[in-house]
Amino acid sequence: MSHGKAVLSLSNIVSGYGSQSIIRNISFDIPESGLVTIIGPNGHGKSTLLRSISGIVRLQSGEIYFEGQRIDGLRIDQIVSRGVVHIPQGDMLFPDMTVHENLLMGASLIRSRNEIAERYGKVFVLFPQLEERKNQVASTLSGGERRMLAIGRGLMTGARILLLDEPSLGLAPVVIEEIYKIIKNLNDGGQTILLVEENVSRAIAISDHIYLLDDGHIAWQGTGEELAGERHLMEVYLGA
Amino acid sequence: MDGWIQILVSGLTVGAMYAVSTVSLSLVWGALNVLNMGQGAMLAAGGYIAYTAVMSLGLPIPIAIVVAVIVGALIGGAMYFLIIRFMIGKEGFETNVIVATFGFALILENLVLRLYGAYPLRQPIGLEGGWYFGATHIPYQNMLLVVVSGVLLVAVGYLLKTTQLGRSIRATAQNREATELMGIRISRVFLLVLLIGGGLAAISGIMLSTLTTLAPTMGYDPMLKAFIICVIAGLGNIYGALISAFVLGLFEVSIQFIFGVRFGFPALLLLVILALVWRPYGVFGKRKTERL
Repeated sequence: MSHGKAVLSLSNIVSGYGSQSIIRNISFDIPESGLVTIIGPNGHGKSTLLRSISGIVRLQSGEIYFEGQRIDGLRIDQIVSRGVVHIPQGDMLFPDMTVHENLLMGASLIRSRNEIAERYGKVFVLFPQLEERKNQVASTLSGGERRMLAIGRGLMTGARILLLDEPSLGLAPVVIEEIYKIIKNLNDGGQTILLVEENVSRAIAISDHIYLLDDGHIAWQGTGEELAGERHLMEVYLGA
Repeated sequence: MDGWIQILVSGLTVGAMYAVSTVSLSLVWGALNVLNMGQGAMLAAGGYIAYTAVMSLGLPIPIAIVVAVIVGALIGGAMYFLIIRFMIGKEGFETNVIVATFGFALILENLVLRLYGAYPLRQPIGLEGGWYFGATHIPYQNMLLVVVSGVLLVAVGYLLKTTQLGRSIRATAQNREATELMGIRISRVFLLVLLIGGGLAAISGIMLSTLTTLAPTMGYDPMLKAFIICVIAGLGNIYGALISAFVLGLFEVSIQFIFGVRFGFPALLLLVILALVWRPYGVFGKRKTERL
């Protein structure tokens, strides 16, 4: 299924909150420069899966490898410093900070001023709207601008893999279109992405590979075209 | 006329002391959600350490103050290593930490009591003399306190506003999980904020002890006032706390001057009640619980 070597490998992971397991034994690989999407109904562990990879939620069992090294059990900041960058659902911006400060927070781990300036420039090339709002406080941005800032802030960290949690959530269709164009651009430029999405039609159009998450395990996997052919799946799980 | 200048001078001095101790309390609460009940004992400890540095070690006063601030910061660090470190991310953090820091305060207070005794001591740090215009007298001591507090508050503001550390502290206050996802080690932020809070508490204790005397329980009153100021300003709102500290200092001194000393504190409490009826989230607070 996957071309190229695996950047991120999940091996039999089980995780959840307290003694309850939400993710029940999931394994898959994400290839270098791949765009893999997790779809599935709400409340079936999509966000928990991303939170387990980024270390917010501890694994109950299983292993996660990033570029050949085991990362489960590391602290969140250690996982981020390896290049696993999680852009959480609902953006989680720093509301009272300016766009500029939010972006600088993304560069917290980077010591070189030149590198910060370079990435800063790249974010503004990607999102020219943000440059206009540079000195505006994040809480005054529109929904689309917030999403752009969340993605831009994530890119400032120097992600080797981006974990994107529902980038279309709460946005108008035109803005979703724009955000997805940018996600596709990033991926075309070689950025490895693990996408979690409720908005199936958008996601399948740009994904290399899709996993359907149901009740904590993978119920189906395949390409976007294959999924479109699975009328039964589309109806039962995705209400399409 | 002379009376009013006297009120202004005393009010600004009291406000300056309130401001430093309030900023310490507010910073620790705003960034860490730690309501530091040890603040009062840390204040007292700061005053006593400066006293020891001058009287027993014979250090020059500026160095004694630096020593006291460093030791004060270390007390904040001790609070992190002995207590708070074990509670981060656990259920009931905010409540547990109130009880735990209160326990820390009792230990610290009794340590001071054991080492120095309950009898009030005179703080050797201070300036003699002052300016006289006719009947009005402005002691150098008061001027120094206002200046020191101003410099400190500007420094804290600068730290928060422009440095990477300051940004991390504000980020932690606004969204802790997102801060961690930026690669910030949250436990380091906790430690640094408690170090800064401890240092500020020590300075505030030295300032206070130069106007009154050293006593093991001397910190409770300013801690209570700092709580009141924080409540009025909106807990964790540093800039609001600053303004409130000076306004309330002036208010308290005015009431004491006009109606008598015993009415100062009740008047302050009345103001809190009115402020909370008017704006329950604090005069400078926002409806949402965003801090710093």
